[in-house]
Amino acid sequence: MSVITVKSIINDSTYQYVDNGNPKSGTAKNVYFSPDRKYVVAIFKDKQDFNQKERLTKIVTQYYNAIKSKEAGDYYLEEIYRWPTDVIETNGKTGLIVPIYNPKFFFKTGYATSDLIKGEEKNGKWFAGSKFRNRLFPLRLDESELGNWLGYFQICVNLARGVKKMHQMGLSHSDLSYNNVLVDPVTKSACMIDLDGLVVPGLYAAEVIGTADFIAPEVLATKHLGKTDPNRKLPNRLTDLHALACLVYMYLLHRHPLKGGKVHDLDTEKDDLLSMGEKALFIEHPTDFSNRPKMNQISKWDTYWADVVKLPYTLTGPYLKELFDQAFIKGLHNPNERPNADMWEQALLKTTDLMQPCSNPSCEQKWYVFDNTTTPRCPFCGTAHRGTLPVLDLYYEFKPTVWRPENHRLMVYNNQYLFQWHVNRNITRNERLTVAQKEPVGYFTFHNNAWVLVNQKLMGLKDLTEDKMIGINQMVELTNGKKLLLSKEDGGRVVVITMANQ
Amino acid sequence: MRRLPVYLLLDTSGSMSGEPIEAVKNGVQVMISSLRQNPQAIETAFISIITFDTTAQQIVPLTDLASFQMVDLKASGVTALGEALKLVSSCMEREVAKTTMEQKGDWKPLVFIMTDGIPTDNWQNGLTEFKKHKTAFTIACAAGNGADTNVLKQITNDVVSLDTADSGSIAKFFLWVTASIGVSSTKVEDSGKEVQGLKELPPPPSELNIVV
Repeated sequence: MSVITVKSIINDSTYQYVDNGNPKSGTAKNVYFSPDRKYVVAIFKDKQDFNQKERLTKIVTQYYNAIKSKEAGDYYLEEIYRWPTDVIETNGKTGLIVPIYNPKFFFKTGYATSDLIKGEEKNGKWFAGSKFRNRLFPLRLDESELGNWLGYFQICVNLARGVKKMHQMGLSHSDLSYNNVLVDPVTKSACMIDLDGLVVPGLYAAEVIGTADFIAPEVLATKHLGKTDPNRKLPNRLTDLHALACLVYMYLLHRHPLKGGKVHDLDTEKDDLLSMGEKALFIEHPTDFSNRPKMNQISKWDTYWADVVKLPYTLTGPYLKELFDQAFIKGLHNPNERPNADMWEQALLKTTDLMQPCSNPSCEQKWYVFDNTTTPRCPFCGTAHRGTLPVLDLYYEFKPTVWRPENHRLMVYNNQYLFQWHVNRNITRNERLTVAQKEPVGYFTFHNNAWVLVNQKLMGLKDLTEDKMIGINQMVELTNGKKLLLSKEDGGRVVVITMANQ
Repeated sequence: MRRLPVYLLLDTSGSMSGEPIEAVKNGVQVMISSLRQNPQAIETAFISIITFDTTAQQIVPLTDLASFQMVDLKASGVTALGEALKLVSSCMEREVAKTTMEQKGDWKPLVFIMTDGIPTDNWQNGLTEFKKHKTAFTIACAAGNGADTNVLKQITNDVVSLDTADSGSIAKFFLWVTASIGVSSTKVEDSGKEVQGLKELPPPPSELNIVV
């Protein structure tokens, strides 16, 4: 065991790592810890050429600074990315300095039945598939590791934001997959790692074509062509958007959107290439049923989530359904049609406003999206919703006295909060919100047999139906057809209340 | 979903008794528990164990990692390698799903053979059967001086040897088998490509000599 000092190739910084002769070895890099375990030194196994070193240098200087200096810089560098901070050289080999992973990304318990993976990294793969969440699977994860369904929306939001920010900076990830993310359903977080392969369009081409489940169809369909062939498609911003759509689908539905039952060729490799490439087809295509999963060919531990009849993708709600259609039907072979990362972020966030807690205490998912029926029930365990269910539709003032629907609604449940981004259309729910904007302005509760909104911070809350101001610390009852003005300010919204499940 | 079948052919003849057989048992246990830490291997790899002494026996049929249960191994008798090759052929025929227009088949199997002696049966007959089946790769390991690498060379191009059949080198061999299965299952999952032969596998540990 020895402590080795290495030097930055950019400035005079020095770093240290402990070489115990047995580094954590990945595909491309050996990873060593610093003595204080605050960072790691990840040394490339292969020699990096001039272009590669220049690309790495840009990632740790220009792009690092671009994130750091902009709005929500700390949020991105702490929460969303493990962004490398420096490039070093030692014995002719190139390495990166990367901050250590947050402790929440290591299994506290791991498997339900053994300590085998306790303390190991929470690689995103553990939470994408369905086996590890099956209570009968011998190697299932402990329930305390799985989180609830609402948590996976926040995980997907983090991933969408990570991709959004890269694309804003003109970068593309080029190898986005569950292997390059850490996921913690317990604290509802996800973090992108291994960010040294980023592609700067026009400057540096992608070095790998990606990870099988996430490679865009056009990349697979043209991979036999030479790199300089004009028809060859390499990973880029639009292929990231395919990978992002796959990740969102997998984290919410624990199955792959394109891996169905259709066989294209009797040769295994050729079949795989066609079914993920040229002939790729959404397993839930509304009119072409040929790639539906064949339930008799599914591992017995995967059948719950593999059943697209019992758990169709539409259970993710109307906003995400539209984006999945765009990504896996319209945009599957037309990359320009794919929804961008910002659209995913907004659709995911809006969908969380449609969520209801399941009243069955042993429901594994705990939350579900309101299905817009008069008798809603949890799609996961089948439990019917009990009691009335207030639905608030949001309207904005299109021009004086003309109010238009926002295509955004808020489902009320006991102790649900109202936030600024519901009240005012000029406030967008994203990572740039200030601390004050993240504070609730009111809450909903079921009180004396009636649903009420308690006003905590709204100066201009008005019951339009009864023409009455509702002051701070006062409450207003929610009744069918009632209209409330949430704010008199510019961008202030009106909500119209519908009582469902009467 | 497509499975990655893995067949381990283990010599349990009398000469393996004592330290070597204990090391093999331990090697299999360590291999299973470390593959159980790899989510990709758990999704794809299925393991079968075939032992051969005076006869050959499939002691564990092709089983997923989660359900795999090791059975006890005892060393006695002679070395029916030919019968083992015949048996693995019929197991592959029966257990490895072929792709049909209705069903996606399995990936090509990986076969690992470990022996410390010279075959005592008509091994060429077994080999003829074995050659009829396509494997992603077959790796033969000659454990100690008693094994004949020339025989193994006729079974596969990928032959490695251990100088001694002691617990240390046998453990190293199983570590490498583990890493190879790990790499193959990741490769299958990551790039839809099967690993072919020794070159794409992780480098063998220093105790393994690659026979060329």
